[in-house]
Amino acid sequence: MEGKVWGYSSNEDNDDVDEVYLQNASDDEEDLHSTSSSLPKLQFRNVKSKCRWNEEMGMAEVIEKNGKMWVSTGIVRSGKIYTSIEETLYLMELGALHLVDNEDRSISLIEMYKKVAGGKYGCCWELFEAYRHLKSLGYIIGRHDVAWSLKSIRSSQKPVAVEGAEESNQQVDTSSKVELSISKLFGELKINDLKPDFDIYLPDSRFRKSSPGDPNFLLYLSRGHLPSRAEIEVLEKQCEGIPLKVCLVTEGRVSFFSFDKVELPILP
Amino acid sequence: MAPRWKGKDAKSKKDAEAEALKEPMSKIISQLQSSFVQSNTCGFLSDNCVHLAVQGEQLDLLDKACFGRPVRIVEKDMYWFQLTLEEAFYLCYFLKCLEINGRADDSPLSNEELWRYFKSKKEAFPCFYKVYSHLRIKNWVVRSGAQYGVDFIVYRHHPALVHSEYGVLVLSHDNDADLNGRLSVWSDVHCSTRLLGSVAKTLLVLYINKNGQNDESPLCLANYTIEERTISRWSPEQCRERSVLTFLDL
Repeated sequence: MEGKVWGYSSNEDNDDVDEVYLQNASDDEEDLHSTSSSLPKLQFRNVKSKCRWNEEMGMAEVIEKNGKMWVSTGIVRSGKIYTSIEETLYLMELGALHLVDNEDRSISLIEMYKKVAGGKYGCCWELFEAYRHLKSLGYIIGRHDVAWSLKSIRSSQKPVAVEGAEESNQQVDTSSKVELSISKLFGELKINDLKPDFDIYLPDSRFRKSSPGDPNFLLYLSRGHLPSRAEIEVLEKQCEGIPLKVCLVTEGRVSFFSFDKVELPILP
Repeated sequence: MAPRWKGKDAKSKKDAEAEALKEPMSKIISQLQSSFVQSNTCGFLSDNCVHLAVQGEQLDLLDKACFGRPVRIVEKDMYWFQLTLEEAFYLCYFLKCLEINGRADDSPLSNEELWRYFKSKKEAFPCFYKVYSHLRIKNWVVRSGAQYGVDFIVYRHHPALVHSEYGVLVLSHDNDADLNGRLSVWSDVHCSTRLLGSVAKTLLVLYINKNGQNDESPLCLANYTIEERTISRWSPEQCRERSVLTFLDL
């Protein structure tokens, strides 16, 4: 080692000719494909499910269930399945869902787009785009702190919000009580509530609403500005150790970032 | 990210890793420390940096420990060497192996005087120095990150042996007022992560909390705390079970 000069700045400059990080390369390819004319086409399925939109709840109630996707779509209350506006719209876009109103009149895709754009029912356009992006990749997505089914609350020890606030050992029996609690979460989207938007599970054919387990990560949609360090900390406090990801939707492009706390190791 | 040792093939990379293990940075730095102390090494304030004349063993050790850069060879084997403010202060204040002259009578400046002088040259010096020393104390090699649009890049050992894994930005824990408002909008995040990603580095942000200390003296450093966070893009396409193909029935 004595007398050996390893070299000065030239070694650091060599980093410029590093191998290109492959992930960025493949992302660029993706971008090229998405800007070509590949808008999703209207699909007509042979076997559709049927749902009735409930304006007061801000959710759709499943009337006829067809297809395997119901294992990981919709929440179960009193033996019935209810879908959020994003779940409903997603299935409609795929042509897998026929939606009607209280008078059994068909509700069109355009009417649903207008509903989402209005920002009511706990969702907004960008949140729907984030939902759609991940759902089409097979991820299982639920609104944060909304139980998939009441069985899952009884089986888990953790207090889960059936209503807007955290309450443990809450027996939710009457359907009207359920409707009331759900409407708080599926009502007006409050811009200033700093809380995770979705619970996300990796694609898994063994997913069960009665015992979903912990989500793999929670997702927060960035609204208007880059979240500050303090805001990330507020969000993390609500995650109870589950990783948080922040999603940004700009002009239809959905990107995801992690702001993980780390600690560089002490080296020898 | 796993460390990326340098070498043209798998064997040379393993050799690089072995070399680093055989002579860890902590050992090199303590050798530098004792050598400098023994020879009463002295530097000079030069506006925004510190210069010193070095040769022989000291030149070697500065190189191996990754402090500073050679400016010019002055005589046979004697170099005029340049240190950044952070590097110089680390050698003076923490390793206590360097003295710096700046006065007419050539007497060395005290740590307090150096601190005030460096602060006058660089407003964010206290935070930048805290980050520099925080990482150096953990035995990481810390160098300027200017060419990548960051404050520092850090290596696990000498850049000849290993690629750097992180590009470091120094930010304030609570508000960015005194740190030039970097990373304040999403496009900054896109920029930095994409640039660093293209050279296989992760963006590492160190948030400094001054904890209400005023920074008149370097003693305030002891009460600064640091929160380390990586900011990275996540690709949902690359993070799925293979079972998704059979599961999706839509």
